[in-house]
Amino acid sequence: MNGFAALAPLLFLVGGAILVLLLGTRRNGGTNSVQAAVSIAAIAAAGFSAARLWGRAVRAFGGQLRFDEAALFMTFLFLLAAAMAVLLGMRYLVRHAMPRGEYYGLLLLAACGLVIMTATINLLIVFLGLEVFSVSAYALSGLNRRDDRSAEAAAKYFLIGSFASAFVIFGLALLFGTRGSLDVHQLALPETGGSSALALTGLALVVSGLAFKIALVPFHMYQPDVYEGAPTPVAAFFAAAPKAAGFLVLLRILVPHFQTGIRNEAIIEFLSAVAVATMILGNFAALRQRNLKRILAYSSIAHAGYMLIAVISGDPAGLLFYLANYLFMGVGAFAAVIALGGPGREILDLDEFAGVGRRYPWIGGIFTVLLLSMAGFPPTGGFLAKFYVFSTAVRAGHLGLAIVGVLTSLVSVYYYLRIVRIMFMKEPERELDVDTENPAVYLVLFLCLYAVLQLGLFPGNIITLIRQATASL
Amino acid sequence: MTADVIFCVLAVVSVGAAAAMIVSKNQGHNALFLVLCFSALGGIFGLLGAPFAAAVQILVYAGAIMVLFIFVVMMVDPRAGIPPERRRRAKLLGVGMGVVLLFELGVAAWGWLGKTASPVPPAGGPAGTPIAVGRLLFSEYVYPFEITSVLILAALVGAVVLGKKEESEP
Repeated sequence: MNGFAALAPLLFLVGGAILVLLLGTRRNGGTNSVQAAVSIAAIAAAGFSAARLWGRAVRAFGGQLRFDEAALFMTFLFLLAAAMAVLLGMRYLVRHAMPRGEYYGLLLLAACGLVIMTATINLLIVFLGLEVFSVSAYALSGLNRRDDRSAEAAAKYFLIGSFASAFVIFGLALLFGTRGSLDVHQLALPETGGSSALALTGLALVVSGLAFKIALVPFHMYQPDVYEGAPTPVAAFFAAAPKAAGFLVLLRILVPHFQTGIRNEAIIEFLSAVAVATMILGNFAALRQRNLKRILAYSSIAHAGYMLIAVISGDPAGLLFYLANYLFMGVGAFAAVIALGGPGREILDLDEFAGVGRRYPWIGGIFTVLLLSMAGFPPTGGFLAKFYVFSTAVRAGHLGLAIVGVLTSLVSVYYYLRIVRIMFMKEPERELDVDTENPAVYLVLFLCLYAVLQLGLFPGNIITLIRQATASL
Repeated sequence: MTADVIFCVLAVVSVGAAAAMIVSKNQGHNALFLVLCFSALGGIFGLLGAPFAAAVQILVYAGAIMVLFIFVVMMVDPRAGIPPERRRRAKLLGVGMGVVLLFELGVAAWGWLGKTASPVPPAGGPAGTPIAVGRLLFSEYVYPFEITSVLILAALVGAVVLGKKEESEP
């Protein structure tokens, strides 16, 4: 297997980004649909070339680029998220007079960064991939230049993200200094000695940096502001994709430690405290929000807490299944927000949603199913995902975590169902100006609905894929 | 021994300059303290036997990037907020800082010119020289190196799209 086959998914993404950016400079080639089509084609080509790598254990550049099945599974998730974000953006960009070529180009580069981050076991490459994603993400969240909140989101994300990067790079320096390598397999902590404490500090710094990106409490503060201010298709992309990448890296770092068993207790106790804080704070803070995008932001923090339980109980399969589900729930929920928006203006305040479910039963209905899936009702994928995670936690001896998870899920039912109640039970106060000429968004909505039901009712196929993926870790 | 003393001086200067940069409320001072900190770091790199990193640290950070930074600071007029009786003190401080900076630059230059100062002779030939670094960049580390170019592309596009004036849609 030569290096080019392994590089192909990345090359297609970067090439597509450059092509879209160049098209934007031409007067005729720069129409919105052409640019979107080129982006989708690049994503599809990347997906196809990634699918060809499945089951072939591809390594290139002395193992620095390493497409194992777990990385490929994640790559498919990122590409799906990026493709859906392209579709969601098509009409939204025109409605809000946002720069188009740059949106598609930066989106492709962000997806490329996430792929780089997961397709390696070398933490230096992880850091570079993280930076490629982050830099694109800062710009993406500030794209809506007519809205001050968008600029605020970009500035906040940039400052906090720079801190997180500094944490990671300082941790990497300590790890490299004590262990002499940045390969995750070489990082298992030594038994005793002075370098053990330094290595542990380095590990803690790297994990904190990742926690920023995943938005685990106490590193979550920026997330609601970024989700609220960023353009909604961008928020849809942020909802699941960076979390998925962060969690896979976390898993890769922690699995060798769990295997050697040194300092296991300390790591697990620390992560458990973070998980409990994340679940409780995410869900309770969401109760008090009136802005739909902020509710979804806090709900995504809470979901990160549930996913962390899967990491703690050493259950990569449960984690990947949860991530796949959350991808569709998260993107779908933001797609519903976009579908209910008007020209030049989005409806975000909960009270304004009064009666939209009756006026637009299809959008309201799909939104309801997605919210029920987030809350964990059967027969949706959200239910199965939570069921797997909590039952594995109980079997692994983390009963307390599972109980906190179930209780906070019950709390979350309140704010998810409140949205449904306002959409269907309340009388509309005034007629809403909803832009219904938006077929690409409806496509995304139906795709998410289908995926959530498929994952909930017939999860067999995807579980087979996930088994192969986790076997490669 | 000399190397230890020089390292201690450089370490104190770099940490002190970084702290002073955070404490100082004047943007011009902030930028100059950062230059001082970077120069001291460059000296430390030189001491460690990494002449390439030392030269790049001083040329790129202390030189190019900080000059740009100071240009921007000068454009927003950092002196607007300083009362006149403090300007004299500021001027004295500036001269003192300039002397220290020159000293630091000299030490840094000596660090990478005089190989004798290197406390840790790198094993296996002259690692850290421009030739060795260049060879590594294009062989063992070509993948991270190329990722960096994608990173710069993303940063460039992001900076342009956020910085350019809004144009009317066609």
